[in-house]
Amino acid sequence: MTNSEMAQQVQSHFPKSSVASRFHNQLEVVTDAAQAPAVLATMKSLGFEHLSNITCVDWIKYNRFDVTYNVWSYQHRIHAVVKVSVERRVNSGEGPEVPTALHVWPQAQAYEREVHEMFGIIFAGNPDLSPLFLHNWQDIPPLRKDFDTEKYSRQAYGVGGEGEGEAQ
Amino acid sequence: MLMVSKEEIMDGKFERILNFFRSRSLWMLYYCTGCGAVELPPTMTSRFDCERFGFGPMATPRQSDILLVTGYVSVKTLKRIIRSYEQMPEPKYVIGFGSCPVNGGIYWKSYATINHLDRYIPVDLNLTGCMPRPQAVIDGFLTLADMIRKGEAVGYKKYRMNYEWYKRNQDQVLGRKEPVFKEIPPAAPVQEEKILAMEGVK
Repeated sequence: MTNSEMAQQVQSHFPKSSVASRFHNQLEVVTDAAQAPAVLATMKSLGFEHLSNITCVDWIKYNRFDVTYNVWSYQHRIHAVVKVSVERRVNSGEGPEVPTALHVWPQAQAYEREVHEMFGIIFAGNPDLSPLFLHNWQDIPPLRKDFDTEKYSRQAYGVGGEGEGEAQ
Repeated sequence: MLMVSKEEIMDGKFERILNFFRSRSLWMLYYCTGCGAVELPPTMTSRFDCERFGFGPMATPRQSDILLVTGYVSVKTLKRIIRSYEQMPEPKYVIGFGSCPVNGGIYWKSYATINHLDRYIPVDLNLTGCMPRPQAVIDGFLTLADMIRKGEAVGYKKYRMNYEWYKRNQDQVLGRKEPVFKEIPPAAPVQEEKILAMEGVK
């Protein structure tokens, strides 16, 4: 099965999502948080049994996060990217919320903890979102685009003399 | 049995003899924090063979003399480095590899790497290079041996004397109680665009 045939098949299941075939054997599915569990479960039943990783892109310009699932099908040899768009809502107190993928792929646990720590995405239904990598982190999640790492480094760890690190 | 009077120790004559022997047999604990760890196997194995100069690898901090910090130091790593350093018996020496332990190197802007290692533990010697080749590493070892012989490598004494200062700096980074940024950054201006409108997707 080629990736354009697979795209048609996914599109027929989810007419509201955008599905597009990409370079060679790649496939892109863009959906929203409400449809995400159904899309992910359907992808797995279509043969995408390998979850490579979960990551996130902060589109601060468009006020949204793209939680990105990279999945791979051994059977069809197709690499699919499922992007779940969710509104940013970082200052509202609720936080961006995406349903968990734990029941589809149990190995999502570590990735969801990481994305929660680095971007502040709340994976609804995941019982353990405790910190994974950072030591005693007190600030906003560090990979968000409104987090100024240079300013943080200057204030938290200090730079030596006046003007150190100014020259690029 | 060698008998030593208190005056001799105070005078430093005995210390000088000790330093002479210390500088000829040094065991190193290599804490492989960054890319510099790659340079240590060739330094130790047959081509460069640093054991010719009296330097050998040691598996445990309890029996080692030199702590090698081979690259950038993240906050989590710093905790382990301090732990290893405090486990080592005196006299103990620290060598920082390359530019990252000096001021963060190319990672100085990162949220996770500390910028100055010598604020947290005393560094006796920094090697140039990014990373230093085995020749530079051996040259650094010989320089350190020379410093020990002359009584210049006194980092462990500095650490003992200024323990409060070092401890305060360590606690400041490792035991942070409140956020570094006091105010929440303002929300970014939003461009008029639909959530699902991806470029290139139909």
